[in-house]
Amino acid sequence: MPDAPANGVCLAIEGLTKRFGGFYALNDLHMQVATGHIHALIGPNGAGKTTFFNLVTGVLPADTGRILFEGKLVDDARPSKRTLRGIARTFQNIRLFPHLSVLETVMIGAHCRAFPSVVAALGKAVLQPPFGEAGEERTMRDRAIELLAFFGLAERQDAKASDLPYGDQRKLEMARALATEPRLLLLDEPAAGMNPHETLELDETIKKIRDRGVTVVLVEHDMRLVMEISDRITVLNFGTRIADGVPGEIQSNPAVIEAYLGEDVKL
Amino acid sequence: MFEGLLDGYTRSLLIFAGINVIAAYSFYAPFKTGQVSLGQAGFMAVGAYASAILTQKFGIPFAAALIFGGVVGGIVGVAVGFPALRIKGIYLLLLTLGFAEIISVIVLSWDYVGGAQGFRKIPFNRYTLDYVIAIIAVLLVLFARLERSSLGRAMDSIHQDETAAEAMGIDVVRIKLLAFGLGAMIAGLAGALYAHHATFMDSTTFNVMMGVEILMFVVVGGGSTFLGPLVGAAVLNIIPEILRALRDWLELLPVAWTNFYPMNRVYDFLHDFLDFENAKRLIAYGVILIIMMIVRPDGLLTRDGLRRLSPARWKLKHA
Repeated sequence: MPDAPANGVCLAIEGLTKRFGGFYALNDLHMQVATGHIHALIGPNGAGKTTFFNLVTGVLPADTGRILFEGKLVDDARPSKRTLRGIARTFQNIRLFPHLSVLETVMIGAHCRAFPSVVAALGKAVLQPPFGEAGEERTMRDRAIELLAFFGLAERQDAKASDLPYGDQRKLEMARALATEPRLLLLDEPAAGMNPHETLELDETIKKIRDRGVTVVLVEHDMRLVMEISDRITVLNFGTRIADGVPGEIQSNPAVIEAYLGEDVKL
Repeated sequence: MFEGLLDGYTRSLLIFAGINVIAAYSFYAPFKTGQVSLGQAGFMAVGAYASAILTQKFGIPFAAALIFGGVVGGIVGVAVGFPALRIKGIYLLLLTLGFAEIISVIVLSWDYVGGAQGFRKIPFNRYTLDYVIAIIAVLLVLFARLERSSLGRAMDSIHQDETAAEAMGIDVVRIKLLAFGLGAMIAGLAGALYAHHATFMDSTTFNVMMGVEILMFVVVGGGSTFLGPLVGAAVLNIIPEILRALRDWLELLPVAWTNFYPMNRVYDFLHDFLDFENAKRLIAYGVILIIMMIVRPDGLLTRDGLRRLSPARWKLKHA
């Protein structure tokens, strides 16, 4: 176990296990993510990275083990409740709402902060002023526009989400996730499908997200990106942690090189 | 209202068309969150029987019975909505279809409400048209507001990608239940109105075909905008009347124009074709559905289409 980080633990994973039949997608995983870090999770395909995301966000139930977010157990909460508590994510295979505009997409993210209860949302919908927009609506819109500007998408706010180029769709997913005001953001392969130029841009974007006070956990195959921006890296193979450390340590770790051997990846 | 203006036939026509519009909105509410129900006729039956028991057996005024019908429909809707949360697509269709069948069997075997004889002598409510108009007005305002609200947008997001919506902190469970319950409540109101206009119903009144027709209204009108159900139900209720009027007009033609070959054959064919009753109506619905699926799968009205027509957009373009 690594020592407890100086500036607090954002996410603590204790003995997390997930089986699919006889296959261990995650096997007794221990891991700590320090508040304010960009923490990369890497490993060959099938190592359990996406399963890890699905367990932390509550899409799948864990078999055993505990997930602590800011010191509190999150195991039983539904995904939407975890988002309310401050855990947001993007998806490996982009999942945008195809018929919503770019602006509306980000406003969906802001919905859970403006209306944590369905009853309040219904009340506001029924009793809204007949002309002009409700106060919450304006707050959500302003916040969405600010986030779109942050990602350089402000110009496209009226376009359909599905009409954006691939790289922009990935950015839009991040904007939507940030609109939920998370303190922990899980990015599932944000560089997949991006061209080298866009990936370079992504370096800065993820750092800027961290500088907004959001802890980032990053699953990524682009090793240049991972080594460049990560504060800490955890390496998984077959559901087990095989290494944990700063980028320099990981690059020279024999177990990691072993795991990647045969794959055309330069560490 | 309108007593002097409308003859009995037109009144009755408008009432049934209006009840269909309300039923279309009962389908639209859950559909907004992506839940497709073939069981809305079942919820109409719940509302119809619940309200008719109050008025016929206990002499309670119609207005109170109407509200009761809606409330009971809504409660049953939430009860059915819970298992419906877990299933999607074709399985949800089957669940709702099964629910409607269960209701019909209960009604058939329950002697208190007439059993196989049917529920007779339900008090006739002569103000049904007023109620229908008022409820449609309320529904239009409600769904128009929903469409421009954050909750409405959240419902759209659930329809488009439930997993992503849940990950964005949208309370998918509660919102889907709310939508399903709201739809069932609206169906209950429609059923109560139906019962007190028709004054008779039995286990075959609210049948599978009615559930299919209700779905058709929204498919034809368009499920992406709140105006779709209104337009769909109106169009499908008006088409038979237009055909009927054409047929009447055809019969007014001078005999001298049509009593020779080939005009007599043309006349017979048209006269037959425009006879839009029962079985033929179903064939026509089938044909319309197939054509719609090919030509306009999103229905006559779509939200994007309406946006393009909106004055603000037009001004922007032509400034």
